[in-house]
Amino acid sequence: MTLISKAITGIGGLLLAHACYSAQEHSALQSFRATSTATLTSSSAVSTSLPIDIVLETIVSTFIILLGLVLGTRPLRPIEWRVWAGKIEREGEDGFKDRNGEVNKDYVGNPFGIFESRPNFVDIRKQRKEFAEWVKNGEGQQGR
Amino acid sequence: MPSERELQISPIVQESLMHNARTLQNLQSLTASLFGVSAGILGLESYSGFLFYIVFSLITSALFYAARVAPTSISSGKAPLDTSRYFVGAVEFWTGGLMSGLAGFILTWTLFYGLVSA
Repeated sequence: MTLISKAITGIGGLLLAHACYSAQEHSALQSFRATSTATLTSSSAVSTSLPIDIVLETIVSTFIILLGLVLGTRPLRPIEWRVWAGKIEREGEDGFKDRNGEVNKDYVGNPFGIFESRPNFVDIRKQRKEFAEWVKNGEGQQGR
Repeated sequence: MPSERELQISPIVQESLMHNARTLQNLQSLTASLFGVSAGILGLESYSGFLFYIVFSLITSALFYAARVAPTSISSGKAPLDTSRYFVGAVEFWTGGLMSGLAGFILTWTLFYGLVSA
């Protein structure tokens, strides 16, 4: 996505720069022609408007850059709490990656994560017993 | 704008709101300068330049809607052109960039008009 949008923006920028240069040259040519005709014949100066191809090139390149910039924007996030929390629950970190594939800095994860690990409710006696069992088995295996 | 009662029933995440608004505003300030460049190259003057700006800003909003809002919004059951999944105010979404980008537009418009037709 990022490469595509950058490529589109770059192509549009080149076209726009070319259109700008063409318009500048056109206006320079106009002023040159006006001065030369004024000195030669002093007739009415011809001032034509911008040629249609430069106009078209400008507008098309504007559209191309616009498309590239729009495609390069970051993905939006749902603003309703239930939709947003559901997205986190379903997609986790995958739903909050930016264009480079890294997780956003302000991604906070599950807003209710504090309720999901509560050290105060850990059954410490049971864990101690399990650890003692594991040590006993480990000792037995090593002693063999 | 949703009422107090609706906000209590379905609360809104402030971080997401700010993230979306910032994304849209970045895009609009960038594109406003771009439209100034185009208007300057085309040599537009007075009302036609502002009309160009308004038309292209609305096109920007429409493209942004089509690229970023519509795919998930419509599949989640919202009506077309309804931005309430990502933005609070619809008017703010469609025309919010007009005022904030105007200064940048006029800056690059006058600059490129002077550069091209000097």
